[in-house]
Amino acid sequence: MKVVAITGKGGTGKTAVAAMLIRWLVNRDATILAIDADPDSNLPEALGDVVEETLADQREFLLQERDNLPPDTDKERLLESRIYSILAERHGYDLLVMGRPEGSGCYCFTNNLLRNIMDRIIKNYDLVIIDTAAGLEHLSRGIIRDVDELVVVTDGSRRGLQTAERIRDLEKELDLKIRHMFVIFNKVTPQNRERLNKYAQELGLEVAGMVPFDEDIARFDLDGKALSELPATSTAVIEMENIIMKLGI
Amino acid sequence: MADEFPFEISPMFEGERVRKDDMYVELAGPKSKGFELVSAVDIDEMEDGKFTLIGPDISDMEEGGRYPLAMIYRIAGELVEPDLEAIVERRNHDFQNYIQGVMHLNQRYDVWLRINKDSIAKGLNSFEDIAKATMMLFRNELPFIEKIDATYITDIEKVEDELAKAMERYAARDERTRNLHDEDVDTFYGCSLCQSFAPTSVCVITPDRIALCGAINWFDGRAAAKVDPEGPQFPIEKGELLDEIGGEYSGVNEVAQKLSGDEYNRIKIHSFFEFPHTSCGCFEVVGFYMPEVDGIGWVDRDYTGMAPNGLAFSTMAGQTGGGKQVIGFLGVGINYFRSPKFIQADGGWNRVVWMPKFLKDKVLADIPADIVDKVATEEDAQDLDTLKEFLKEKDHPVVKNWGADEEEEEDEESTGTSTAMPVFGMPDPAMLQNIPPMIGGGGGIKITLKNAKVSIDKIILSSKK
Repeated sequence: MKVVAITGKGGTGKTAVAAMLIRWLVNRDATILAIDADPDSNLPEALGDVVEETLADQREFLLQERDNLPPDTDKERLLESRIYSILAERHGYDLLVMGRPEGSGCYCFTNNLLRNIMDRIIKNYDLVIIDTAAGLEHLSRGIIRDVDELVVVTDGSRRGLQTAERIRDLEKELDLKIRHMFVIFNKVTPQNRERLNKYAQELGLEVAGMVPFDEDIARFDLDGKALSELPATSTAVIEMENIIMKLGI
Repeated sequence: MADEFPFEISPMFEGERVRKDDMYVELAGPKSKGFELVSAVDIDEMEDGKFTLIGPDISDMEEGGRYPLAMIYRIAGELVEPDLEAIVERRNHDFQNYIQGVMHLNQRYDVWLRINKDSIAKGLNSFEDIAKATMMLFRNELPFIEKIDATYITDIEKVEDELAKAMERYAARDERTRNLHDEDVDTFYGCSLCQSFAPTSVCVITPDRIALCGAINWFDGRAAAKVDPEGPQFPIEKGELLDEIGGEYSGVNEVAQKLSGDEYNRIKIHSFFEFPHTSCGCFEVVGFYMPEVDGIGWVDRDYTGMAPNGLAFSTMAGQTGGGKQVIGFLGVGINYFRSPKFIQADGGWNRVVWMPKFLKDKVLADIPADIVDKVATEEDAQDLDTLKEFLKEKDHPVVKNWGADEEEEEDEESTGTSTAMPVFGMPDPAMLQNIPPMIGGGGGIKITLKNAKVSIDKIILSSKK
């Protein structure tokens, strides 16, 4: 079992990279849990999927209904069952969408239940791929613990690199139990390839791969087509194979 | 021990999930019907170990299909009594999850099971194996069960008939659990989840007092402490009852002293003024004393307006939170309004004078009939003057105390017990120490008045002898 979290600044293509990785890994007969942990992202769409209910909806249900339930209801069991019921079960992978962030009020107890539940769910998979916002919300709250690989996706922009640096610092600050941190450069052109490599070195970031700028992705995106349908000959998809090797997954 | 069964049995299979791709059949669950029920019966009424199936067996089921399932266990024994039914029933979940290839989720009428294809391949073809293994575990793990039998039903009509009967039993049970009170148990539960930001806060959870956050009731505390006794929820032995009305117990006091790092050593769980429960910051509602009417108002997190004392929830929350005993303010969970012991040391509902309409409506059914119309909302009163008028007009119980104002205040000062100080009242210096950060610690005080209409007849400052 391995947990890979993919993060980065919005617009750098982290969701596209996550979707391509999942697409590639599904063919390998591993059981995968894909978690969309970014309220702004659209991993289901990138996978050509539609998910209607989120983990946050179940959490809110519990908060709304807790006083109306029989007093001795086991809330962990209730929440676990509801999460199982919204887990989208597809061929080769399951998909869980975390949904909107917490509202006002206290989530301590509910999040504590979620921690236990997520620990149990995650153990059932060979591989867990998490698409998460740069703030690493669910990791920092400990709802998902013990991430093995943290992958920061960034484009060639300076701000993208700064985000990578910030995430690296955040990881240290939060004292997350992350084993490795990698960076994947996305939308790489022959012109900026060398320079990006040098930047990464200066920042002390290990490069897991360089995904070339791919006409296919841009076209799929505009057409609203699922990236999981990208042809195997697409240059971006080919690079996934290298990344998977590098990540050891 | 499990050679007689076509599957392995071990706690290590708990948490094992049966994915749709690997599933042979799905039973009960959100898209079908079913339930689990344990009932206590007379020992002569039953034959030990008997299994009855009504409806199709696993071998009659289609691969990938979904079927209803009811699991009814009857238990008997010298020590078996109806009060144990719920506790025993809860274990069906654990035991069935010990069975390799069987996934059991949820409880009561929400149960949801799946059986793995692999298990079928290994020879599991009858519910009898599952029922017998479960009964064996019940008897091994809960030795007070002397006899047990099981009836499983997969016929939809019969499931529906029996579910209707089961619902009555669940309702009767809920009635009993709702009637569980502090005096009926030996153990309360504590929670230290909030100590990360309120290091001296000790949350005491009793049958008559839900946690401040509103999320953890006594049963939740019990369940969590059982799973992980070293976790954030832990048992507190009640110890000796020191004050019945205030709700003071020697065991609670000991824990309070230890976990607050000697910050305080007494807690009265049903008191507003004397050794009140600490407030962490998570509370759903904050109570505030208004000396002008000698009554207590409550405002919830979602109410964005001002309370009659001129303060908003956020201001009072900032003042109350942090894990100190703050005289004059108290954080509570909404369900505490439904407690028969609700601030009973200080008059209970007879002391409540104001709450936002939304909050009042939420707990309306639990407000005593003789007081319900006398509690003002923002529609009746927005400030102290309109509140006073309202209370007078409705003849609220606090009005009786108004005449005796002067005497009472002096009384309290001389005995050194504390009443609350509103922020705009004239502070007794001793009391100021109890008013938290908003005013600032150490030397000097800072008073910020915004949009204030203050009229003062006389201010007398004198050093306290």
